[in-house]
Amino acid sequence: MKAKDLMIPLQEFLKPDNTLKEAANILRTAKRDEERIGVKGLPVLDADGNMVGFVSIRDILKAVFPPYMSLMNLGDFTWDGMVEDIAKKAGNRKVSEIMAKKVISVDEDAPLMECVDHMIKNNVKRLPVIGKDGKVVGILYERDIFYAITKAMLNENSK
Amino acid sequence: MTQEAVTTQPFVMNTAFWTATIIFLLAYAVIVTEKIHKTIVAIFGAGLMLVFKILEQHEAFHLEEFGVDWNVIFLLISMMVIINIMRPTGVFEYIAIKSAKWGKGEPFRILVIFAIVTAVLSAFLDNVTTVLLIVPVTILIADALEVDAMPYLISCALASNIGGTATLIGDPPNIMIASKAQLNFMDFIYHLTPVIIITMVFYIFAIKLIWGKKLKTREELKKRIMAMNENEAIKDPVMLKKSLAVLVVVLTGFVFHGVLHFQPATIALFGAGLLLLLSKTHEPHHILAEVEWPTIFFFIGLFIVIGGVVKVGLIKWMSIQVLELTQGNLFATSMVVMWFSAFASAFIDNIPYVATMNPLIIDMAKQLWPNVSGIQLLHHPDLMPIWWSLALGACLGGNGTAIGASATVIVVGMSEKLGRRISFGKFMLYGMPIMIMTIVISTFYVWLRYYVFKI
Repeated sequence: MKAKDLMIPLQEFLKPDNTLKEAANILRTAKRDEERIGVKGLPVLDADGNMVGFVSIRDILKAVFPPYMSLMNLGDFTWDGMVEDIAKKAGNRKVSEIMAKKVISVDEDAPLMECVDHMIKNNVKRLPVIGKDGKVVGILYERDIFYAITKAMLNENSK
Repeated sequence: MTQEAVTTQPFVMNTAFWTATIIFLLAYAVIVTEKIHKTIVAIFGAGLMLVFKILEQHEAFHLEEFGVDWNVIFLLISMMVIINIMRPTGVFEYIAIKSAKWGKGEPFRILVIFAIVTAVLSAFLDNVTTVLLIVPVTILIADALEVDAMPYLISCALASNIGGTATLIGDPPNIMIASKAQLNFMDFIYHLTPVIIITMVFYIFAIKLIWGKKLKTREELKKRIMAMNENEAIKDPVMLKKSLAVLVVVLTGFVFHGVLHFQPATIALFGAGLLLLLSKTHEPHHILAEVEWPTIFFFIGLFIVIGGVVKVGLIKWMSIQVLELTQGNLFATSMVVMWFSAFASAFIDNIPYVATMNPLIIDMAKQLWPNVSGIQLLHHPDLMPIWWSLALGACLGGNGTAIGASATVIVVGMSEKLGRRISFGKFMLYGMPIMIMTIVISTFYVWLRYYVFKI
């Protein structure tokens, strides 16, 4: 099985000059299978359709996390309403400011083990799949690899 | 090879003189432009001094007069190791949150308390460590009170430089001066701490004038501070107790090192070893990796570069120029050293500056009192005020600009990364007047204490 056999074809994406408000809304209402129940990450494509970054909901969490908090153990000294206050200000920031610029992706013909290798070593749950023309053709989800693994296990047992 | 056999060469401007001078000046120039990292410049400069045989390797590695001052190196490394073990215990978060609560959520009270805490911590830890620990909490508190973080950030840098001046271990210039001039911890407490306490009082009045009226918050925001529980900061109480015990041993050791005839580095190295042992860690490489090696190697390279120009006589030539300028008047020399050091340190790194000035002052003393040598020369009663003037000028001068001292560089750099940019001009607007105020206070102090009352 290869990456392209398991990936979900690309339907929605973000643009670098989307605001975080818009991005959050697109993530929340994006199509998953046939329902609009939201996804946890989308690629960011420029005007020519080339991938320039990736935004996951973790990146949205990071956008409201003050940088000084990561320097010391200050989590015990925060207050109620802090996240909401910063979120109000962060809503107008651009996707290009917060997106992950270095995106781990795979070619559409990559074997499944290569995909697993990327996911485990880079601690990501989604891999953009790149087609022959260098553009994103779909997203491969951890969950779908899990289904493939399950299927292989069950087939073995039924023999 | 004995020490006497390799004293400063007779004063000849030969090829070696010019080679060493050019390496030294180029190194300084490149460090100032910041085009290449200062550590790389210092190491490469040291390499050149050795390759061109300005210094023999033996002189660079083993002679105090021309080479690496291992007392400085091991004092710095050991203190860094001790702090690196203490940091994860949460003690610094505890101190900062406790301070904010002492301030009862009043923005100006907190500014003053943070200034005092930063000054005291800086007196015993290195300034960079102190500001790295204070700045994140400072911004958190300012955000909680919804006030501008800028006064807190600038004050953190200024107070750190002032406090660091108070002790032998507070600021690298003092460590270097102590080692070269063979001054002990209590000498610094006796001669510099009093003027720093006076300076801090003036500093608090100054920040009252500058920011006192501007910092206002609402009652309900003060509750955010008062609701914080500082005890939650302590992550490892057992390690904290061990660290504090070792810190007490080390500080006691510093107080008595003169009497006990131990060098400060001996005390610090013993403390670092003891704490590593008590930490029961099987992976010392984490703790050791966090030592600021670029700083350490900057010192090592720099000592060799300076050693080269000392050996060829450039520093001696410079000291003659200073004496001609002041016509041998020692009060005038003190004042020139203090004010020149202040402005020089405001614009160039005070570490290479003091590394250059130390041998310069010793060469000057040799010319003033040719029949005296050794400790009698270094501690000549008329020379002592010049050492103190150098320490005060070089340490306090760092407050003048955003690039004046490591602490200011770090605060301004962190502020930018944390989205609270302080421009060069903005920092100087506050830093330069404060620097001039502190140097004026020091001027009066040195004049009254050493030239009027002679105590």
